[in-house]
Amino acid sequence: MKVVLRILERLWLPVVLIAVWWVVSENAKSVFFPPLSRIMEVMVKDFQSGVLGAHVMASVGNLFAGLGIAIVVGIVVGIILGETPKLRETVDPLIHFFRAVPQSALVPLIIGAMGMGSAPKVFTIAFACVWPIILNTIDGVRSVEPGVRQMSLAYRVPARLHFTRVLLPSSLPQIVAGVRVALPIAVVVMVVSELFAAEQGIGFYILQSSSLFLLAQAWAGAILVGVLGYALSELFNLFERRLLAWHYRSNNPTAARSATTSKRK
Amino acid sequence: MKSRTQQTSPERGRRSSRRQAAARGSKAAVVVRRIVAIALLLVLWQVAVLTGIAPGLTPRVDRVALALIEILGRADFWLALLQTVSAALTGVAIATVVGVTIGLLVGSIPAAGRAVGLILDFGRSFPTIALLPVLILVIGANWRMEVLVVSLAAVWPILVQSLYGAQQMTSAASEMTRSYRIPPLLKFRRVLLPSALPMISTGIRIAVAISILVAVGVEVLSQTPGLGRLITLAQGGGRWDLAFAYLFLIGCFGWGVTALLARAEGRLLRWNRLGEK
Repeated sequence: MKVVLRILERLWLPVVLIAVWWVVSENAKSVFFPPLSRIMEVMVKDFQSGVLGAHVMASVGNLFAGLGIAIVVGIVVGIILGETPKLRETVDPLIHFFRAVPQSALVPLIIGAMGMGSAPKVFTIAFACVWPIILNTIDGVRSVEPGVRQMSLAYRVPARLHFTRVLLPSSLPQIVAGVRVALPIAVVVMVVSELFAAEQGIGFYILQSSSLFLLAQAWAGAILVGVLGYALSELFNLFERRLLAWHYRSNNPTAARSATTSKRK
Repeated sequence: MKSRTQQTSPERGRRSSRRQAAARGSKAAVVVRRIVAIALLLVLWQVAVLTGIAPGLTPRVDRVALALIEILGRADFWLALLQTVSAALTGVAIATVVGVTIGLLVGSIPAAGRAVGLILDFGRSFPTIALLPVLILVIGANWRMEVLVVSLAAVWPILVQSLYGAQQMTSAASEMTRSYRIPPLLKFRRVLLPSALPMISTGIRIAVAISILVAVGVEVLSQTPGLGRLITLAQGGGRWDLAFAYLFLIGCFGWGVTALLARAEGRLLRWNRLGEK
């Protein structure tokens, strides 16, 4: 009963808002704001014909490829820079400069240089996402406890083991936080690159529909992008909670203990 | 603060000045190393272009430098900068007013806070720029549309941070305002707003970064006047030296804004950190 009540408490406002949109748009005469029922109808139709599914797959593929490259490169570069203070100090202004370039300004340059296909899009997403991950990984590596580091040195832990078993786990919370920053950037850059020049992808679907004046399709695409962004962020939350469960437990022993005791009550 | 306490005895003062000199020496070394690194990068770039390793369209460093000087003397660059900045800042201003008001109101009512949770999560992860083609049809590719897109994108971090800020208010403070029957407007201005200010300012800082990203993105895509449009025009016209110079200037601009905001936040919230000590 209590659970049902809690879910209702969180759900009533979104449901009311969607209902209001549905009812108000149903009788609206505006060409630009088609009825929500029509948007949904179009979305279902395009999904059934397989058009929209292919676009979504193309977009998500680029997104994951770009983000994946950014994560691997970001972690490796971040750990190297975090471990070598001199190098870090030297390239620090460069990293902060690249981090500050508005990523959407890169889109015309990279696509203009590399052409339309999906490789330049993956590259743009990777380039935009790598900087926050590098910066966070550096922070993570630097926050490794000196005691742990000395122990690893004293026992002559081999470099590879030191990297995978000491540095990586202890900087993982920071790295995950960096990826969390990078995720919405990746979605925005993905959409911008597809709106700029593409042959497939949700952004292309939206652009094509609106240039053919198919407003219902354009709205359907925009809603779909929103759902995609939301789903990715929720999935990442789940993933983060699983990946870092040990961290929350070890860093907050009192909270964990009180949680278990309160459960016992 | 620290240096003043160290100056109390002459012995200590001398030692600290020697230490400061050493620190200054290593600082100078860092600066030299940084300049060398940047120079090395530029030389590598130049060599890569001259030997043909770099992609065919990459401009030479000296060409970009010349383009940079050319741009800085041109009125259309400064006009474009003004257009981008004004659109971004107007959008953030609107987003701040809307976001802080709604965030604080909703955050001070627990039931409302729970009801908007899903909407906030959705809005936060929605890439507003996806609405651009539709908005171009409805409003047209102009400054007003750009401001609208910027404020739609920038409102979420401010809203979320204000909401958290209001929820974080200690129960003692809220009980006191109730027992003294402090009028709602005064409570809003003197209790709720200041206690949520550190959170709000973080929200605004995120929003400003987003606003520049979105403003440039809108200009790149819709040919609305501004820096983004200049880049697309330069690239479309085959003037890669100009395009790279613009990109460099936009990077400098973004960097300057980030640095400025970090400083402004530090100044504005000095009282907050004083309380922590």
